[in-house]
Amino acid sequence: MTHVVPAVTSTRPQTPAAAPDEGVRSIHGRAPARRAAARRVAIPYAFLAPGFVLFAALIIYPMIRAFQMSFYDWRVVAGATSDFIGWQNYVTAFHDPIFWRAFANSGAYMAMTVPPQIVLGLLVAMLLNAKAPGRAVYRLLFYLPVVTSWVVVSLLFQYLFANAGLVNYVLHGAHATNGATSWLSGRWTAMVAISALGIWKGIGWSMMIFLAALQGVSRDLEEAALVDGAGRWRRFTTVTLHAIWPATIFVTVMLVIGGFNVFTSVLLMTGGGPADQTQVLLTFMYEQAFKYLDFGYGSAIAVLLTIVVFALSVVQLRVFRNRTLT
Amino acid sequence: MTSMTASWQRTGRLAVSARVLVLTIGAIIMILPFAYMLSTSFKSQQYVLATPPQWIPHPATASNYVDAWNSDHFPRYFLNSLVVAIATTVLSLLLSSMMAYAFARFDFPGRETLFRILLLGLMIPAMMLIVPQFILAKYLGLLDSLAGLVVFYVASTLSLNTFLLRGFFETVPRELEQAMEVDGAGSITRYWRLVLPLARPALATATIFTFLASWDEYPWALTIINTPTRQTLPLGIALFQGQNSTLWGLVFAASVAAVGPVIVVFLIFQRHFVRGLTSGAVKG
Amino acid sequence: MKRTTARWAIPVATALFAALALSACSSSPAKSSASGPVTLTFWGTYGNGGNKAQTDVLSQTIIPAFEKAHPNIKVNYVDVPYDSLLQKLTTSAAGGQLPDLVRSDIIWVPKFANLGVFAQLDGKMPNFNTLAQATYPGTLSTNKWQGHYYGLPLDTNTRVLITNQSALASAGLSTPPATFADLQTDATALAAKKIPVFADSGLQGWNILPWIWSGGGQITNADLTQATGYLNSAQSVAAVQMLVNLYKEGEIPNLLIGNKGAVSTQDGLPKGNYANILDGPWMKAIWAGQYQSFQPVYSPMPAGPGGSISVVGGEDIVMTASSKHQDAAEQFIAFTQSSVYQLSMAKTGQMSVVSSLDAQEAAASPELAPYIKQLQTARSRPAVPDEPQIDTALQDDLVPAFEGKVTVQAALDKAAKDIDPLLTATK
Repeated sequence: MTHVVPAVTSTRPQTPAAAPDEGVRSIHGRAPARRAAARRVAIPYAFLAPGFVLFAALIIYPMIRAFQMSFYDWRVVAGATSDFIGWQNYVTAFHDPIFWRAFANSGAYMAMTVPPQIVLGLLVAMLLNAKAPGRAVYRLLFYLPVVTSWVVVSLLFQYLFANAGLVNYVLHGAHATNGATSWLSGRWTAMVAISALGIWKGIGWSMMIFLAALQGVSRDLEEAALVDGAGRWRRFTTVTLHAIWPATIFVTVMLVIGGFNVFTSVLLMTGGGPADQTQVLLTFMYEQAFKYLDFGYGSAIAVLLTIVVFALSVVQLRVFRNRTLT
Repeated sequence: MTSMTASWQRTGRLAVSARVLVLTIGAIIMILPFAYMLSTSFKSQQYVLATPPQWIPHPATASNYVDAWNSDHFPRYFLNSLVVAIATTVLSLLLSSMMAYAFARFDFPGRETLFRILLLGLMIPAMMLIVPQFILAKYLGLLDSLAGLVVFYVASTLSLNTFLLRGFFETVPRELEQAMEVDGAGSITRYWRLVLPLARPALATATIFTFLASWDEYPWALTIINTPTRQTLPLGIALFQGQNSTLWGLVFAASVAAVGPVIVVFLIFQRHFVRGLTSGAVKG
Repeated sequence: MKRTTARWAIPVATALFAALALSACSSSPAKSSASGPVTLTFWGTYGNGGNKAQTDVLSQTIIPAFEKAHPNIKVNYVDVPYDSLLQKLTTSAAGGQLPDLVRSDIIWVPKFANLGVFAQLDGKMPNFNTLAQATYPGTLSTNKWQGHYYGLPLDTNTRVLITNQSALASAGLSTPPATFADLQTDATALAAKKIPVFADSGLQGWNILPWIWSGGGQITNADLTQATGYLNSAQSVAAVQMLVNLYKEGEIPNLLIGNKGAVSTQDGLPKGNYANILDGPWMKAIWAGQYQSFQPVYSPMPAGPGGSISVVGGEDIVMTASSKHQDAAEQFIAFTQSSVYQLSMAKTGQMSVVSSLDAQEAAASPELAPYIKQLQTARSRPAVPDEPQIDTALQDDLVPAFEGKVTVQAALDKAAKDIDPLLTATK
C-alpha cells in the first residue's frame, strides 16, 4: 500500500525563479541588472512596510513605554516625576502570594479550556464541512456565542451558576447532585463555571478557523487515499490533519494566549473573589493599575505575563513546526 | 472510483442522521444562553432574571427595544460603530495580507525576527498599553475622533490577521505562482490576482473576526471618546447599566440589536468558504 | 467577481478614511477667547441605567438656570458608565486630558487630591467657607486631605435598615429590630422559620463599619494615622463577634463573605428570603419597578452601645487642577450648593448635602425622611488615598473569622496591622 504524500503543501517558501532577469542581464548590461536585483530584494520589505510601520508606532512603542513603566514607582499624573526603583516591582510580584495564585488560576483556566475548544471545534467543523441543507444556519448557531458580548454572557452565566440557578436546577432534576452547589463561592467550583463559559464561547471561533482550513483539503488526495483503500482514520491523519496543520498550530497558539488573558468573565462572575480565590493575572493586574493606581506594579505583571505567553508560543511553534517534517 | 463512492453512499444515510443529531444537540447547547437573553429582552423589568427560569416571556413586550432605540444617541452609536468597523476591517485586511504575503512567499534577512516581533503584539495585555497609547494619540491629534479608533484598531488586529493569513498563503501551490511569473507577472499582480483570491476562506474568516473585534471593543473607545455623539455601541450599552442596579431587559434588548450587523457580516462572508480552486488548476 | 470586489475596496477604504480624517480635524477643541463664552466640561454618571429622570433635570432645569445666571458660561455634561469612570479619570490624568468638573465618588477624592489631579478649593474659591459649613459634617470630611479641601459635597446617601414585614410576621414579630439585643432575639425566632435575620453582600467598609460604629468601636484615631488599638478594640470585636455568631448559626447567609452565587439582597428581601438588609434610598425606585407589591419598612440602623450610626456615601463635586477655566468652574461648584440644584436632584433620589434644606427635602420626598435622620449621625470611611486597599484588607482579613478559621480578635488584630501603613501611605 503506497503511502499518500501530499505534494502541494510546502512550508518553506523559496525565492522566485531567476528566469525573467536573464534577458535583462545579457542584452542591456550590468547596471540595470543590479538595479533590478536591488528592486527584487526590496519587494518583500515594500509589502511589509505600511503595516509594520503602523504596528511599530502604535503597538511596539507603547509596549516599550509600558515596559519602562515597570521599573518606576510610576506617578499617574502627566508630567510628574516618578522614582526609579529598578527591579522592585518584579521582586514584589515574586513575593506576592496572590500573584502566584492568579498565575496558577490563569494556567488552570488555560489547561481546562484549550483542549476542548480545539477538539470540539474541529469536530463541529468537520461535521459542517459536507454540503448539507441548512449548513449556514448551523454555522451561525455555533458562531453566535462568539459574537455575543463578554459582559452579557458573563452575567448570564453568573445567573446560570447561581445557587438557585439553572445549572443546579438541572443537576438536581437529573439526581446528579443535591442541587445546592455554591458554584461561585469556592475556588475550583468557580473555575469550572468560568471555564464552562470559556469553552462555550470559544468553540465557534476555532470551528471557523478549521472550516476555512478544511476548504484547502484537496479532493484529489482524498480520492487517491480512497483508491488506496485507506480507512477513515487513516484518511484523516494523512490527508486532513496534514492539510489543516497550519490552522491547528494557529488555533492552539491563539487559544493559549487567550486562556492566559482571560479577564471579563472572571471580573463579572466572581470579581476575583471570594477573598482573591479566583483572581487571574489580568484581573489582578487591572486591580493594581486602575483601583490602586499602581501602574508600575501593573506593568510589571503585564511584562511577566507577556514573557510567559511568549515563551509558551515559541515552544509550541517550534514543536509543531518540526512535527510537519515527519 | 464509482464503486467506492457508491459503497460510501450506502452508509451515507445513517451517517447523515447521526451527524444531524449530534449537530442539533450541539447547536441547542450553544444557543441556550443566547435564547434566554433573547427571551429576557422581551420581558418587562419585574420578570427579568426570575427563578425558576421562564423561557417564553408572558406577558411579552417590545418596550425594551423601543426604549433602547429611543434613548440618547443610540442610533448614532450604531452608525459610529458601523463606520469604524468597516473602515477597520478593510484597512486591516489590506495591510495584513500584504505583510502575510511577504512572510509567506519571500525569504529575506530578518524575516522570522520581524514575524516574532509581530507575534509579540498579540501577547501583551492590551490594558497596560492604554496609557502610553493615549499619550501617543494625543500627540498625533487623534483624540476624541473616530479616526483615532480606526487607526488603533487596525494596528491591534495586524498581528492576528497576519499570523492567520500567513498560514493560509503558504498552502497556495507554488506552481501556480511560478507559472504566472514565467508569464511575466510582477509580485503585486501575483499577490492581487492569484494569492488573494485563492485565500478567500482565510480572508473571509479574517473579515468576520476583525469586524467583530472592532464592533465589540470597549476600553479604548471609553478612553479616547469624550463627545457623546462620537461614542460607539459598547459604550452606549454600558451606559444602560446603572450605578446601583440595572434594567436587564433594556441591556439585553440593546445587546440583541447590537448582534445584528455581526450576524449579517457572518452570513455574507461565510459563503466564501468554497472549496479551493487549487485541485482543478493543478490537475490539468 | 474577485476583480470587482478588489476594485471598489480601495476607493471605498480611502473615502472612508478621508471622511474619518476630516471628522477628526473638526474635533479639535474650540479655543475660548477672553471675551467669548467659556464651555465647561462636566463628567458624571447621572444618566446611567437608562435613568432619564436625572439627566432630564440636569438638562431642562439645572443647566438652563445656571446658564441664565451666568451668560458667559456654557456647561457641557458628559455621561460616563459608573464602573468605568475611575478608569477613564485615571487614563485621562495620565494623558493630561481632563475635564473641568467631575462628579467624583467620595472615596476617590483623597487619592486624586494626593496625586495633584483635583484642585484645592479652600483659600482659593471665594465663598468656600460659607458653603462648606452649610453641608453635613460627615459629607464635608470626605473632601479633606492633609488639612485642605479638594471639593464640596454634591449628593449624599446612607444605609438604613430595611425590613420585609411579612417575613417578620411569619415569625411572630411585629417591629424591626431597634437594638443589637433585638437583632439577636429576632434571629432565634426567625431561625425557626429558616429565614436569615440579616443579609449583606460583603465585609468592606461600607458593610461592616455601621456595625462597628454602632457597637461603640472605632476604626482609626481622630487623625486617621493609626488603626491598631481602635479597629481591634474590645467594642469593635464585640460588634463583629455578634455578627459572626449569627453567621455560624446560619442566621446570616454566605452572601456576606462574597459568594456571588447567593441570592442578592436586592432580590432576597422582597421575596422574603431575608428579613432585614441595610441599603440606600435608590432601592425604592428599583423595587417599584420589579416587585410592585412589596412594601419595604424603613427604620434606623440597630443601635448598639455606641448608638445608631451608619456610613456616609455619595458623590463630591471637584474641579481638576489642569482646568483652564477655574473661575467659571468655581462658579458652577457654588451653584451646585444652591437650593435649585439640591432640591431638584433630591426629587430624583440624589439626597441633598445642605443641612438647612432638610425640611424642604423631607416635605418634597417623604420617603427620604429616615435617611435624612440617619445622616445626622452618619460617619464617613477613612478619607485617605488608599481607602480602596483598606476595603480589601477588611474583606480579606474578616472572611476567615466568619469561616471560623480564626478568632475575631485575631482577625481584627491582623486587619489593624494591615491597615496602619495604608493610612499613612502617600505617593
